[in-house]
Amino acid sequence: MPLTISISEKAAKKAREFAQKDAVEDFGLRVGVKGGGCSGLTYTLSIDPESRPDDKVIEENGIKLYVDKKSYVFLAGTILEYDDGLNGKGFEFHNPNAKTTCGCGTSFSV
Amino acid sequence: MQETAVSKTTPLYEAQAKAGAVFAPADGWELPSHFGDTIEEYRAARQGAALVDRSAYGRLRVTGADGLDLLNRLSTNKLIGLTAGEGASTVLTTNKGRIIDLLPVVNLGGELLVVTNPQAAEKVVDWIDLYTFGEDIQVTDITEETALLHVVGPEAAALLGASALSLYHACEVSLGDAQAQAVRADALGATGYDLLVARGQAEEVWNALVHLGAVPMGEDAAEMLRVEQGAPRYGRELSEEFNPLEAGLLPSISFDKGCYIGQEVVVRLNTYNKVQKRLVGIAVKDGSPLPEQRLEVDEKDAGFLTSVVYSPALERALALGYVRTRHASSGQEVCIRSGDGLLQGVIVDLPVEPRA
Repeated sequence: MPLTISISEKAAKKAREFAQKDAVEDFGLRVGVKGGGCSGLTYTLSIDPESRPDDKVIEENGIKLYVDKKSYVFLAGTILEYDDGLNGKGFEFHNPNAKTTCGCGTSFSV
Repeated sequence: MQETAVSKTTPLYEAQAKAGAVFAPADGWELPSHFGDTIEEYRAARQGAALVDRSAYGRLRVTGADGLDLLNRLSTNKLIGLTAGEGASTVLTTNKGRIIDLLPVVNLGGELLVVTNPQAAEKVVDWIDLYTFGEDIQVTDITEETALLHVVGPEAAALLGASALSLYHACEVSLGDAQAQAVRADALGATGYDLLVARGQAEEVWNALVHLGAVPMGEDAAEMLRVEQGAPRYGRELSEEFNPLEAGLLPSISFDKGCYIGQEVVVRLNTYNKVQKRLVGIAVKDGSPLPEQRLEVDEKDAGFLTSVVYSPALERALALGYVRTRHASSGQEVCIRSGDGLLQGVIVDLPVEPRA
């Protein structure tokens, strides 16, 4: 299993669309986790104009992912995808570290 | 050579020794068991004001813009929106909804005061740290640099010269030449105020309160009061073995605040009436059992005891214990397995009120 975080082509395209809506040109997609949610950890996703000194920066499908070191520990191996359509869930984290997830699927534990 | 664990002493050790305290180890600390007359100390708490050293409890100072938000995401009660001078008790829970600690959280304006149970401060700090990612939050253990006194009883507020506060609300009070942060915290189940003071001023505040008429109270009398009031204690009624609903901590749970760690389990247990056992009071008809003894109903296992005291209000032994939910109603007779024999007990409503 690759110890990195990857983003699918569709998810990268969608992230670029969101950034364009916000008129942000040079940006990265900040991927992280925070404490909370029923299971203990929830995913965070935001458009960030610049990386921070301790970030791990990963580039794939024409998009930069910014991940802080602590979040990276919980996200290594994750694939970020985008599920569209009427029943689509939007951005989805496929995280091999997640042992349990809560009923609504937005939080997980390792 | 075998090492012997040395109990720590609080900043009030000398003052209490001078007042005739008989000390014993409790929770890793050398704490007063009594000051010569346990029943008089108990009566002071019931009828006037008694003074207890709660310095063994952990104190954390939480600063940073995200403190309330993070604690809100990690615990059962709604903390968002607490303004300066307001507070709430909340339960840190695991993702299985089990109790890590029951915490009063008070907004002192610019910083939060979090009081942990004895020996739990490090565990709570580590838990918060585990779930801190990019948040602006600093947690400082101020247990060593402060003392925590507790004034309990119907005269407590008057003695402090303060108007009665709502639960977990705070105000500053002057005692002697010292300043103390007073927080209404019914730690023993009865009306009481925690007083947070700088370590160097602890003895002065203690002396001032005694001068005003507060009666020093030891752990023995405090336990009598606590059990009669049905207030759960960490390590006995509160641990990762239990969830907040079993422990009767409903006032510390918000059911409409949104997600927190363990919320799904706690809400499901409550919604579908799946709480397996309940914390109850058990009056013992004959004799005095030991904690942790098993309970039986119709010769079948029905639970276990967690704390036992002599109750001055009932004039017999009173226990707290966890009983299967279907048996957990007032008036239910239970048998307490005590060695080879059985003692008889009956479930009573808590708090137990003193006889007039």
